[in-house]
Amino acid sequence: MSCFTPSTVFYLRYIRRELSRRRTRTLLTVLGLALGVALVIVISGLSNGLGNAQKTALNPLSSIGTDLTVTRTAETGNSGLGGGGFGEAGALLQANQSVITDLSKLGKPGTHFVHDFFLPGTQLTFPTSQGSRLKALPGVAAVAQGLLLVAEHQSGTVPKIVARLKTGGQRFSFRRRITPLSAAEQQKLQACLQKNGVTIPAPGGGGGSGGFRGGGSGGFGGGGRPRGRFGAFAKCLPKRFQQFRTTFTTPQQTLRQVLDPPQTNIKTTPYTIGGVDQTQPDIALVTPAQVTKGHYLSRSGHRQALVAGTYAAKEKLKVGSKLDLNGEDFTVVALVSPPLGGQTADVYLPLQQLQSLAGEKHLANVVLVRADKSSSVGSVKSEIQQALGSSAQVASSSQVADKITGSLVNASNLSHSLGLVLEVTAAAAAFLLAALLTLSSVGKRVRELGTLKAIGWTQRLVVRQVVGESLVQGICGGLLGVALGVAAAAVFDAVGWKLNAHSTSGGSGANLLGLGSATLRTAKQTIELHAPLTLELVLLGIALAILGGLLAGAAGGLRAARLRPAEALRRVE
Amino acid sequence: MSAAEPLFELRGVAKRFRRGDVAVAAVDGIDLDIGAGELVALEGPSGSGKTTLLQLLGALDRPDEGSIMFEGRNLAGLSDGDLAHLRLRAFGFVFQQFNLIPTLSALENVEAVLAPAGVSGPELPARAAMLLEEVGLAQRADHLPSHLSGGEQQRVAIARAVANEPRVILADEPTGNLDSKTGADVIELLTGLAGVRGTTVVVATHDTTLAARAPRRIAMRDGRIVEAESAGESGATMALP
Repeated sequence: MSCFTPSTVFYLRYIRRELSRRRTRTLLTVLGLALGVALVIVISGLSNGLGNAQKTALNPLSSIGTDLTVTRTAETGNSGLGGGGFGEAGALLQANQSVITDLSKLGKPGTHFVHDFFLPGTQLTFPTSQGSRLKALPGVAAVAQGLLLVAEHQSGTVPKIVARLKTGGQRFSFRRRITPLSAAEQQKLQACLQKNGVTIPAPGGGGGSGGFRGGGSGGFGGGGRPRGRFGAFAKCLPKRFQQFRTTFTTPQQTLRQVLDPPQTNIKTTPYTIGGVDQTQPDIALVTPAQVTKGHYLSRSGHRQALVAGTYAAKEKLKVGSKLDLNGEDFTVVALVSPPLGGQTADVYLPLQQLQSLAGEKHLANVVLVRADKSSSVGSVKSEIQQALGSSAQVASSSQVADKITGSLVNASNLSHSLGLVLEVTAAAAAFLLAALLTLSSVGKRVRELGTLKAIGWTQRLVVRQVVGESLVQGICGGLLGVALGVAAAAVFDAVGWKLNAHSTSGGSGANLLGLGSATLRTAKQTIELHAPLTLELVLLGIALAILGGLLAGAAGGLRAARLRPAEALRRVE
Repeated sequence: MSAAEPLFELRGVAKRFRRGDVAVAAVDGIDLDIGAGELVALEGPSGSGKTTLLQLLGALDRPDEGSIMFEGRNLAGLSDGDLAHLRLRAFGFVFQQFNLIPTLSALENVEAVLAPAGVSGPELPARAAMLLEEVGLAQRADHLPSHLSGGEQQRVAIARAVANEPRVILADEPTGNLDSKTGADVIELLTGLAGVRGTTVVVATHDTTLAARAPRRIAMRDGRIVEAESAGESGATMALP
């Protein structure tokens, strides 16, 4: 200030005296200012934090330059990528049925088994050659393909099948036509019997065969006759009849079988798995920018896997962990935070390796397309739609972002619409508070300021004095406010207020097919809210307080100093 | 009698205040000359216009009508800055309510008029201390006004009023808030200091005994001078009996 004279010391001392001897009022003013400043800082910090949180959730999607994602969901119509090769809904249902476990292929009974089944979920696969064709469309800068599968991880013990067998209960009946004895044979028999001391009535008395049938009891039995006679009879019969008798001695047996269902402890855990075209990392399903820990897939990506951070936390996986997928070991090389609303999965493998693992060679179900410039996204979208037909779903990044819901979005919307209002309100409140407190303090000092004028102080000197006091209060209030604001922000950081965002992908076809929620992928991301403070923010807070104090001081001081001293002196305190 | 060259020359001076819808003339057409080194008592009951006239003389206010010449210069033609300068250098004020700055000590209250006059460094407290010594308050220099008695406060105010060696001291009911003994002490101090320096003193008071000691008495009523008389000899002081 131009009035910086050697006697400035006196004026500074006056300011000090004024502020320290009116401690309550000074403290009140400083606290009011500090509160306003702290409020502005915290609100701005939270607003920034929400912005950051939203960026975390959405940015990977928008920053990588994937402008469009092309998928194919089941429809009853007949068209599209497959070129009639697929029976659409039916094909999808069939593809998803391969999960039915063939226990016999899992290993020896009693041994532990782990197996992963891969199902296409709601997104129909198509040959990668189809996706590659999109590269030729005008306006398309790059194309990467991906395969997103719903995986069922099963583990358990191969069941022993125990069968208990009971036999018996069956009845066998046998009927055979036997040639009757010829005349010669009869004679021979008679002769033989006679020779063995058995007499038989002459043939014709009862008929040959009839005699034999009845003879069972009458003829042969002979009631009370010695056993020797029967033995002779057997001996004398032709060979044919002897054989007939032995055949009938086969024992009877009953067979019965009951099979209990096998007991086992098979556990099924669903997760999603994505095939990443690691040769085009910039627009792949997962990009290097989304790696939160570790390193992205190498160019070959051999036996490497990426795991989403949330899934890793759930399954206690970390960089370096091994994943056993149907006997093949994959090493987790990085944790990633995939974009919300995009085509996301829990585990990512290099595309080709997932294709062979899942038996989906040369098949993909997502095409990620980058347009050569942002203005051509719209035209590229319709080109693709035209090229692929109605079963292809072409979604732009903004459409995907719109699908994201949850507290984060709510809070972010709130901060966008309300944050500015709150900030302005807090700033205005801080301003107003400073102004009102200064004005009221000046108002109470009109007589004092009048006295100063009466004893020869110029108007400028009086205003300078009042402004000086306000300035010091502003600086104190600003510093205190910054301290309060920083402390409050630190509390927010420490508390780590959680916001979540989720989006659902997977077509409506899922419900149509009755696959339901099993194949519906819901991506959820929980983001901790922080209130990051920048130096600018802190300086803004201090500046606000000082400016508020200055303006209020100048206004109040001027108002008082412009009064004629006589008028000021007449004021009653 | 009054000096040939009047210090103040008032012609047709009027000052009105609005009280509701009615304009009340606090000072209503006053013609008055005051010479250098005069001691003038301005007497009259409350509301007679003494304070207003004093404020007009001390350039704390501007008249609605008429002219006030001080040392040959029309105050109406001076800027606010010039008037502030006059108040600082030429006039010293003593108020009924002392009007000390409550947050400043006795010493600092005196410094408050020395600092704008350009006194700085170690000279500032030294001069202020010397002035406090003159009014007999050297021991109380560090006390805040609230810790001083009425008489002590008025002594500080007198020290402040004479600090820049003004040509005129304007005192508005300086004993109004003091008991008679203290009031007499204060008047003695004021007139003594003025006498030593040859300063013109105008004291407004409704205390007739106090006014009776002034060589020149101007009685006011309803904004007008009703009676003006001068004591026999010029140069007489209000010396106590």
